[in-house]
Amino acid sequence: MSDAVAQKAEEQEPVIDLSIADTVIDKYINIPGNLMPVLQGVQDEYGYIPRVVADHIAERLNVYPSQIYGVLTFYSQFHLKPRGKFIIRVCVGTACHVQGATRIVDTFFDKLHIGHAETSPDLRYTFEKVACLGACGMAPLAMVNDSTYGAMTVQKVEEIVADYNQRPLK
Amino acid sequence: MVNLTIDDKQVTAPRTATIYEAAKQNGIKIPILCHDKKLKPFGACRMCLVEVEQMKGRQIPACTTPVTEGMIIRTSTPDIVKARKMVLELLLLNHPLDCPVCDKSGDCDLQNLTYEYKVNSNRFKDEKFNHSIDYNNPLIERDMNRCVLCGKCARICDEIVSYGALTFIDRGIETKIGCEFDDGLNCEFCGSCISVCPVGSLLARPFKHKARFWAMTKHTSVCGYCGTGCNLTLGVKDNKVLTTIYDEDQGFHKGQLCVRGRFGYQFINSAQRLTKPLVRKNGRLTESTWEEAFEVVVGRLKGGSAVAALATARLTNEELSLFKKLLVENVGTKNFDHAGGYAHTALTEGFARSFGASASPANILDIQKSDLLLVIKTDSYETHPVVGFEINMAVKNKGVKLAIVSDKRGKLSKLPDATTLVHLPGTEIAVLNAIAKILLDEKLVDASAVAGFAELEKALAGFDVESVAALTGLRAADIKQLATDYAAAEKALIIFPIGQAYPGHNADLASATANLAILTGKYGKEGCGVLCLSEKNNSQGAVDMGFYAQDGGLNGLAILDACADGSVKTLFVAGENPLTSYPDRSKVKAALEAVEFLIVSELFLTETAAMADVVLPVCSFAEKDGTFTSTDRRVQYFKAAIRKNVQIKSDFEIFSELIKRLGGQAPSSPSLQFSDIAAKTSGYAGLSHVSLRKDGAFASVEISPALVVPQAVTAVCAEQGKLALVTGSTLYHNGTLSQYGEGPMHVCPEGYIEVSRTDAAAYKIAENDLVTVSSTTGTIQLKAKVTPRMPAGVVFSPYHFSETPINTIWSGAPVTLVTLAK
Repeated sequence: MSDAVAQKAEEQEPVIDLSIADTVIDKYINIPGNLMPVLQGVQDEYGYIPRVVADHIAERLNVYPSQIYGVLTFYSQFHLKPRGKFIIRVCVGTACHVQGATRIVDTFFDKLHIGHAETSPDLRYTFEKVACLGACGMAPLAMVNDSTYGAMTVQKVEEIVADYNQRPLK
Repeated sequence: MVNLTIDDKQVTAPRTATIYEAAKQNGIKIPILCHDKKLKPFGACRMCLVEVEQMKGRQIPACTTPVTEGMIIRTSTPDIVKARKMVLELLLLNHPLDCPVCDKSGDCDLQNLTYEYKVNSNRFKDEKFNHSIDYNNPLIERDMNRCVLCGKCARICDEIVSYGALTFIDRGIETKIGCEFDDGLNCEFCGSCISVCPVGSLLARPFKHKARFWAMTKHTSVCGYCGTGCNLTLGVKDNKVLTTIYDEDQGFHKGQLCVRGRFGYQFINSAQRLTKPLVRKNGRLTESTWEEAFEVVVGRLKGGSAVAALATARLTNEELSLFKKLLVENVGTKNFDHAGGYAHTALTEGFARSFGASASPANILDIQKSDLLLVIKTDSYETHPVVGFEINMAVKNKGVKLAIVSDKRGKLSKLPDATTLVHLPGTEIAVLNAIAKILLDEKLVDASAVAGFAELEKALAGFDVESVAALTGLRAADIKQLATDYAAAEKALIIFPIGQAYPGHNADLASATANLAILTGKYGKEGCGVLCLSEKNNSQGAVDMGFYAQDGGLNGLAILDACADGSVKTLFVAGENPLTSYPDRSKVKAALEAVEFLIVSELFLTETAAMADVVLPVCSFAEKDGTFTSTDRRVQYFKAAIRKNVQIKSDFEIFSELIKRLGGQAPSSPSLQFSDIAAKTSGYAGLSHVSLRKDGAFASVEISPALVVPQAVTAVCAEQGKLALVTGSTLYHNGTLSQYGEGPMHVCPEGYIEVSRTDAAAYKIAENDLVTVSSTTGTIQLKAKVTPRMPAGVVFSPYHFSETPINTIWSGAPVTLVTLAK
């Protein structure tokens, strides 16, 4: 094993309960073309696709592990690293950009100490700039999980962060 | 056939052909990068663009477009040339252009096309790729900076090898070929990806910076490992074999090779090769002259039946027949054998009784023509990987059904819709008998006219499916289903491996398989029969030459017993290494110590050779001429690829010289000896070295079927606190020779014991833990491999290794009870 591989192995998450994945796999096991729904279902359960789970899916579905990785890296909606409990998305599409989205993004960077597509070490936040959230009338727009925050200002960013900092992680 | 016009030439092509194939068949060259005739059309590179008049002159890819009646195609208009040039400019945009240090240079499709299309400048500008190079394994280097994303490596790994190590990862401009989680490559290292790579992205590391492609001479040869009979092209420079070169038109396997064939050649030019005869003086082997060695040997060979011989089935047909002549006519002994005297009994006794011929009544080409393959033991993939590729292609491309009866799962079990019946070890004959009984009971067949029917029907009485199910640990319904499927298939082929590590694959197993084929009439026609996969490159030849115990001669194991009790005084071992490969190491050692005089002819100072009184250094297959007969009885001629060291002799020269010194007449060349073989050997009539020069020829097999009652001895495979050890071959090795090939030793350097997850948990064994394995005959320490393929209670270990010889705990039983301790 090379150093790179060994290091990757060390980075592995300590304990993953595969029985959760098994429940999802069992649901789709006999359906042709089951890889996508299994991967989506598993991601819903774990929040991302841990490597051991990907390998487990490969074994159970009799699909090459490489093929699974190919699918996982093709679609940007699959995540290979743990994600924050609160996913903050800030729109930087044309309308939001004109309304000063850049400043909203920068303020989030300052407050959260994480950049685009990064997750805070305590797994509280993941931050993403997105192209358009489809609600240009509310520009500049931000979302935290499924909650929408329109007409964003720097002041509101501070309020949102303060609010979500208070919420329990578990 | 359809008629079409390509470049103003009226041509015809099969209805199923693509434009590219039609052009190629008619001598018109269309450039390709991503297309390979063995793979499904892909259409990624756009080098093969052509214009079709009916499509309003649109440029379409020739490799994916089927021909239609009346098509008018132009393959090289100025517009097409312009388009291809641009394709090349775009491919070269991110390519490092490091041809001066690239081993592919001279054999590189991208380089050749760039030259052909005179792409001497690039209108585009972009950064070069900056992927890290994968040096993770010792055999295959992956430099994705040179990649043109043709996908051939990923496709061959899926479509033919069925391993799926490589795939496209990421998306858009970021796309590259990679492994799971972008790790380094860690696969079965057959190197098929290297063979099809059109650029220098995948290269053989053992060949790195060894020679420029054009500086090597290319010599065709036949692989010297297993019995598949794959053809090789050896790249030779300065009288050294430096690499194997891919030739997509070579052999039935179209140039496909396994890890042994592709990377196992280093033994030919190994520094460990013996170069001088050794004679034991004052207890030590000392370098000597051929004259002295011959004198000593000739003196010892005048012993009549107190002389015995063991020869490896790696020798050529000419050598084996000449050795037999020496032993029978000049020495006067019948005591000679190969492969332990038991590994060939499936052919020499089983098929001989059941089919009236000591050869398989089927060949490898039948695999893809069959409707159902019944494989006994998944090891068929590991013992004969290229046959495994044929099975993969049959199942994946031709929709052939695959049923496996095995004591463990394996790679074949993963093929689409493959059914695997995992039985308790050592009970395969009972399963086959139960199938035969179902065929009779359910009136699925009528074979009452065949010789031996009544006896068989009577003998099968005890094999009702319920009791066999209980005995073997299978479900009765599964056995019934298999029997029905086998009977219903229009064409069905049974495949099983034999070899020194498969003592259970004996005459009885051969008869049990033959019975199924004979009962259902599935033999002697295309896609039907039984294919026995023999272990060594010339195992079938050794049988055809009659180099085994007959007419009261002692067989391999009996010869060793006779050495121990003193009745055999001189033992001539030509190329075998019984100390590692024969069962019960302590017994073999005692026999070799006891025998008065031991002569060994060898490439290397093996541990057996180290015990000898005289060691004669001999040629490898690359240094001599001769013929090998593959497992499906394809006789193939090969010429020396390199000149031999002047100090060594071929076995042929040694046997000739000994015959002369014993007062006999020996033929002066292998080709003369072959004329003698052709005259005397059934099925070889009319063959000669000249007629075999291209492609070889199948020696015919005359079948006269008879039903034979197989003895189903069921091994005890369960005892409190013990596990059932089954022996076998590992994918990377063949016999004991591959220990001298650097490639196989890089990826599989030592013996191991494969343990199921259940047992690993019970014994608290983790991967690579050193485990002490004990049986009644001995104890050995082996590294553990924890795999999902082993059933609980069964462990597997390969037999090839002198450092970790499995025969210390294995005394030749199909199943050995062992205990494990950490």
